[in-house]
Amino acid sequence: MANAFTVDILTPDKVVGKNIPAESLLIPTVRGQINVLADHTHIVSKLETGTLSVFGGADDPDRHFSVTIGVCKLLKDKVIVLANTSEEVHEIDVERAKRALGNAEDKLKSAETLSEDELVKYQRKVGRARLRIQMAQEHKK
Amino acid sequence: MANIKDLKKQIKSTKGTLKITSAMKLVSAAKLSKAQQAITGARPYADELEETIKTVGALVQNYEHSYLKTNDENKQTILLVISANKGLCGGYNSVLAKEVRRFLVETELDVKVSFIGKKVKEIIGTEVNMGEFYTFEKTDPNFAELQEVGNKLATLFTTGEIGRILIAYNSFNSAISFDSTVKQVLPLSLDENAKAKVTEQFPFDFKYDPNAEEILDTLIPETYVSTLWTCLLNAVAAEHGSRMSSMDNAVSNCKEAIKTQTLKMNKLRQAAITTELIEVVSGAESLKG
Repeated sequence: MANAFTVDILTPDKVVGKNIPAESLLIPTVRGQINVLADHTHIVSKLETGTLSVFGGADDPDRHFSVTIGVCKLLKDKVIVLANTSEEVHEIDVERAKRALGNAEDKLKSAETLSEDELVKYQRKVGRARLRIQMAQEHKK
Repeated sequence: MANIKDLKKQIKSTKGTLKITSAMKLVSAAKLSKAQQAITGARPYADELEETIKTVGALVQNYEHSYLKTNDENKQTILLVISANKGLCGGYNSVLAKEVRRFLVETELDVKVSFIGKKVKEIIGTEVNMGEFYTFEKTDPNFAELQEVGNKLATLFTTGEIGRILIAYNSFNSAISFDSTVKQVLPLSLDENAKAKVTEQFPFDFKYDPNAEEILDTLIPETYVSTLWTCLLNAVAAEHGSRMSSMDNAVSNCKEAIKTQTLKMNKLRQAAITTELIEVVSGAESLKG
């Protein structure tokens, strides 16, 4: 039962991946990680910032992507991920993520002066940057 | 009649123009390829988002969102016109201005026109009910800036100050063609036809996580901003495409002009030489005699 469905990952800037063959898929959602196998029931779910892993099975390589908030839609033989930002592990710019993390944390330290929206914004930035750094280290080998 | 010196000057200046137009063409071509990349990257996302929202919106009953509310009583409308900040791009701005003018004549709505990009504003600014003018560096469209504009407009809409938000822009087809379009962005419409089709396509309901309302709550504003964003990207790509093709025309016109001018100059020079020769020859003849 190899590669029973395909995955599309789309962001407002670009198409990150289209028709990626997959046997199994791990998606970070607001309710926790879900694992998708072939013939999954139809779900529309909100994404959480995290790692999305596509397992290609025997024939295709495993691929890992960072995703941030968005939604994903599971259809019979197709999974569509709509995320605000997403990139594959090897595309992650660790230096940039580290810089972003530093900046955002500095901003958060002066939290009194920030409005609520800004607070959320910088918290998300920290989350994103941490995720990227962590992912890049995990998959360095 | 022009003399050789004048013609030489003319040719020189045409050559200068040629240099400028071909440089502009190259710049536009480079920018176009970038803009084209952006739009082809953004389109699938926007389409898919719209699709999703239509599906979910059709399947979920009794859902209300302020962006979906239609209010036909309220004729107050904002028309956001996305045009270029610079000229020299063929019919890009004037065609859009014409389209906006036509729309304003035909519509029954009470329209206030806002602008992004100053060119169309310069063309029709005096004839219409002016709204806000938003500036930002459009050559490099910035998501955050656009979002700010979008949020401002959306607030007007949700508070009921205006009943409708429309957007006029040039939709990018290819490097040489675009369509001037007026499109409604708010309220988002889920028409009945689409609803029927969706129910046919998905006879069962989806499972929603955490729940359908929350998903729609996130999706709807996202769709609104994404619509604006794709419109802007379209407009930018169309602008560069239009400028490139009009500069291409300008380049070939310049070359043509240089050719005819050079020909004319050569003829004149030849005529002068011939006259001189005749003078010399006839002088020599008369001495012989």
